[in-house]
Amino acid sequence: MSSEARLRASQSGKRRWWLLIAIVVVATCRCYFKDSYWRANLIVCALNVILAIGLDFILGYAGQLNLGHSAFYGIGAYASTLLIIKLGVPFWIAFAAGMALSGAAGMALSLFAVRLRGHYLAIASLGFAVIVHQVLLNWISLTQGPLGIYAIKPPPDIALPGLPVISFGNTANMFYLVAGFAFLFYVLLDQLVRSPIGEALAAIREDEVSAASFGINCTVWKVFAFGMGSALAGAAGAFYASFVGTLVPDAFIITESFTILAMVIVGGMGTLTGPVWGAILLTVLPELLRGIGDLRLVVYGAALTLVVLFVPGGMVQAARIVRARLACLPMASTRQ
Amino acid sequence: MLTVALQQGINGIVFGSLYVLVALGLTLIYGVLVQINFAHADIVTIGAFAAYFFTFVFGGNYLVSIGIALIVGAGLGWVVNAAIFAPLRERGNELLPLIATIGVSILLQNAMLLWFGPIPYAFDSPYSNEVIRLWGGTFITWQNLIIIVVSALTIALLYAFMKFTMMGKALRAVAQDRETAGLMGINPNQLVMLTFVIASALAGMGGAMLGPILVLTPFAGTSVIVKAFAIVIIGGFGNVEGTIIAGLAVGLIESFATQLINPGLTDIVVFTLLLLMLAFRPTGLIAEKREENV
Repeated sequence: MSSEARLRASQSGKRRWWLLIAIVVVATCRCYFKDSYWRANLIVCALNVILAIGLDFILGYAGQLNLGHSAFYGIGAYASTLLIIKLGVPFWIAFAAGMALSGAAGMALSLFAVRLRGHYLAIASLGFAVIVHQVLLNWISLTQGPLGIYAIKPPPDIALPGLPVISFGNTANMFYLVAGFAFLFYVLLDQLVRSPIGEALAAIREDEVSAASFGINCTVWKVFAFGMGSALAGAAGAFYASFVGTLVPDAFIITESFTILAMVIVGGMGTLTGPVWGAILLTVLPELLRGIGDLRLVVYGAALTLVVLFVPGGMVQAARIVRARLACLPMASTRQ
Repeated sequence: MLTVALQQGINGIVFGSLYVLVALGLTLIYGVLVQINFAHADIVTIGAFAAYFFTFVFGGNYLVSIGIALIVGAGLGWVVNAAIFAPLRERGNELLPLIATIGVSILLQNAMLLWFGPIPYAFDSPYSNEVIRLWGGTFITWQNLIIIVVSALTIALLYAFMKFTMMGKALRAVAQDRETAGLMGINPNQLVMLTFVIASALAGMGGAMLGPILVLTPFAGTSVIVKAFAIVIIGGFGNVEGTIIAGLAVGLIESFATQLINPGLTDIVVFTLLLLMLAFRPTGLIAEKREENV
């Protein structure tokens, strides 16, 4: 066994342990978060995790700065809700449809903007987000515009034979549902990133021309990554609508995109654990700071700016630096 | 009908010239640095607040307040460049500075929210109510006349500065090729700073004149800046003439779309135009001319 293979094996063993610990911590959440306020926050946390890992797949892995993530979030929320309310479609089919529609919108935008890079793509996606928000506001016959849609039902109860009925009107159950999906999406992206697809994406991110010269079809994989990330945003949107119960277009303004971007950057873009930590930190920290008043929102801006200036790798890089400092001398001797 | 068209034309030019002021700053910065400054939006907002406080709290003259906003904007531009763009320049990453300025923007907006609150300020310019009658029943308020005259003068001055002064020529040289300009004895860092100061002064001043038109809240700048982005793209990034034409065009399109279609749909029209431009002519309206020059 080569040393590299051994290192990889030990890393994947470590990863499994971390995943297991994460599952245990999340599964026991209901024991230490008893009041509904914190349970609602936990659901928001899980939603943000889905949004952040989706955006990170587009930005950190495929290297496309998408400033319109809020639009895909909104498309998923409105599409699934309208299908349920106007056409009486069952929740899970509407959920899948909302996800598919968001993904398709993302792929369309990416395909449309495939020649654009860097700043141009950023502004194209920003423009797309403005258009989506304005359509939601102005297509009153469909979306009820700024009045919003009210009394959206939670996902239907699950009644398995021999078990008590699981109702998602209960915040604890809703949290486990969203967290379960967040976990599922995380594992899915984790597998993708480690597959040849992930390597192709990394090659495109680093240098598109050389990637193309190696026979990688850049268009296909960029569109795929964009579609994947926006489909996740659509899923988060469908859960958001059924959890909050009301939908207004202003929940999906472009500022929301910036919030998600802040989570990805603060956590560490280009890693999957980073956005998870970023989403948790930037959801929980402002809540803890609520006592200080409106200062809590300043935290987002300050965190984003300072991280880009001083630790562009985010919390993941910071953790790595700390770990390296702690284990500085022994590590150096074993490596040589 | 003709009266309505003329009136909307005047309104369109008023808005258009303000968009030009804001978008020119973005385009100048992009020309020199190939970077986007998101905090430009908040310089507009802070300019508007500076003018508001100068006029209504300290009882100053509105026209002087435009100058105050200009100075405040210039100062902020200096800070943003020194704090964000200068340290990040060595890293050479295309997207990090943009993301950092999004952070600055969130920070400034929420700091303003903390100080000024979410309730819109009533910024009634003393010139808004006096009207000059023009041909055929159309009219223009003094406020709008001030906007058009001040913007036109500023743009003309800037244009003359870029074309005829040594410093302006150096600036254009840096925009074309920073390294070669450096070899010719131009200090690019100084010129980048100068560009930031000029660009942000324009934004601050634009804010002072936009204040009475916009709903003045800490988030007022964002709606302007997204349009300015659209204008900069339609006009061709880094292209001054293109930006001026595109800015006026967007002002006019907006004003006629408000009249003819539906006020709610103006943004959709403008941004659909942006996406179409990006799809079919990502180099902007008058790109060929620029290529000839090179």
